[in-house]
Amino acid sequence: MMNERRGVAGWFDPRGRRLGGLAFIVNRLSGLGVLVYLYLHLLILTQLARGPVAWDAFVAFAGSPVVLAFDVLLLAGLLVHGLNGVRLALLGFGVVTGRGTALFVALMTGAVLIAAVGALRLFEVA
Amino acid sequence: MATLVDRPPEAVPAPGAAPVTATRVVRVRRTPRDGGAARWDRVEVPVSSSRMTVLDALTWIRSRVDPTLDVRHSCFHASCGTCGLRVDGRDVLACVTRLDDLREGEVSVEPLRNQPVVSDLVVDLEALYEALEPMAVPLVRSSTLVAGGRPAEGVPALGRFEDCIECGLCISACPIEATDAAYEGPAVLGAAWRVIDEPRGTDPASALAIVDGDQGAWRCHLAFECSEACPSEAEPGEHILHLRRGLLRRRVAAILRRRGTHEGSGR
Amino acid sequence: MTVPSIPLRLPGAADHARGEAGAHDWSWVWQAVSGIVVLGLVTVHMVAQHFVVPEGLRDFAAVVAWLSSPVVIVVELAFLVSVAWHGLLGLRAVLFDFGFSPRTERWITRTLVAIWIVTVGYGLWLTSVIAGWT
Repeated sequence: MMNERRGVAGWFDPRGRRLGGLAFIVNRLSGLGVLVYLYLHLLILTQLARGPVAWDAFVAFAGSPVVLAFDVLLLAGLLVHGLNGVRLALLGFGVVTGRGTALFVALMTGAVLIAAVGALRLFEVA
Repeated sequence: MATLVDRPPEAVPAPGAAPVTATRVVRVRRTPRDGGAARWDRVEVPVSSSRMTVLDALTWIRSRVDPTLDVRHSCFHASCGTCGLRVDGRDVLACVTRLDDLREGEVSVEPLRNQPVVSDLVVDLEALYEALEPMAVPLVRSSTLVAGGRPAEGVPALGRFEDCIECGLCISACPIEATDAAYEGPAVLGAAWRVIDEPRGTDPASALAIVDGDQGAWRCHLAFECSEACPSEAEPGEHILHLRRGLLRRRVAAILRRRGTHEGSGR
Repeated sequence: MTVPSIPLRLPGAADHARGEAGAHDWSWVWQAVSGIVVLGLVTVHMVAQHFVVPEGLRDFAAVVAWLSSPVVIVVELAFLVSVAWHGLLGLRAVLFDFGFSPRTERWITRTLVAIWIVTVGYGLWLTSVIAGWT
């Protein structure tokens, strides 16, 4: 008999998924992305241990538009993962039942708005 | 026989007249019994009525085009749970999925996922039945709702109906099932919640112990695809969360009890 | 009317030995609790370290001055402890979805705990260097 278990494609393939399934995909991808960022961030902080010249050179580099665009992506990832996490905690502990979809739409609208404000501020400062 | 376009006489419009019957092209995933390579067959099916279902189309293909197409069905009204399929990428019961309700264009029909394909559109549900057994045993019990009711002749005892029709759609829809066969899965966990929610004189402790294990309710990642797919509104996803709340309450109570005993012995 | 007591027979119970009492998995609860803590601390971190800073990042002298406050050090280290915990526990949940053997899963857990300890140790070391403890 043929085994129809699809492996990792079954987690991330968005085709045929409803909002809850898409939220699962977004949560998993943003979580892994932010975890990779965490270690990248910690790696960059070693520049602080190397002294003022190394760190201030990095600060100058971080003002470039490419890095700022990356910062916007990070901010969006944090917001999506964090706010969806609030939803999952509420649902998972049974504080809220059966309102998962409405909560997702409301929280993601909030995430997009805050990310947009953050993006404007990031590029305005630059 | 591979690609077939069979146009039956009634589907051919009379010269000069508007077509009275539409057709739909149905793409069917074919997996040979002998383990050969799977393929897609495209068949043009006449749509005889706006109420025509995917199962009607498949039985038409079987009777008119290719009798070797394996498709399983029984009741035709969403009660038996045997005709579960993936239509246009969604897990559905073929018997209650109307062609008219699907998006325009070709209709794709595949077997359910995360369960072994026996052949063509038939999957092996044995693993589900086996996993349900420890949960479902207490579900088949004498009911207090029909006290005084007498079973029909030949029926040993009155049973209790539950919403779950054991069709396997939730297992096909669950993203975690895509990688892990050990996960107890939505159908089993949903059934367990029914035992705990309505013990009816039974002790749900052993069901709770099973679903509180490594492969139980805590493996769920709350995608709720199971509840979306469920054709019977058994809401397995919501039941898993009810289970978690029950399990957590039980654990906290156990910790408090242990602490109470400890303090008591200390005095 | 009396409800007949029907003994609950669970033939599959023996097959679920891994799920017997004592082996309860608290990781989901930890994930949710640490998630709430991280959400609070990441907000503090983003505001205090980036949004209130005119250029978005402090230069070296400003970082040293900023880290002279014990409150800042405690909050930032608490953030590192909780965010690494939450992130690695999340990675563990993703890895466990592959359905590895219990042996491999134990190995994964140990490795991730080791990575968490190293991460927190790195944070302590970096703070000590910048704050000039050594």
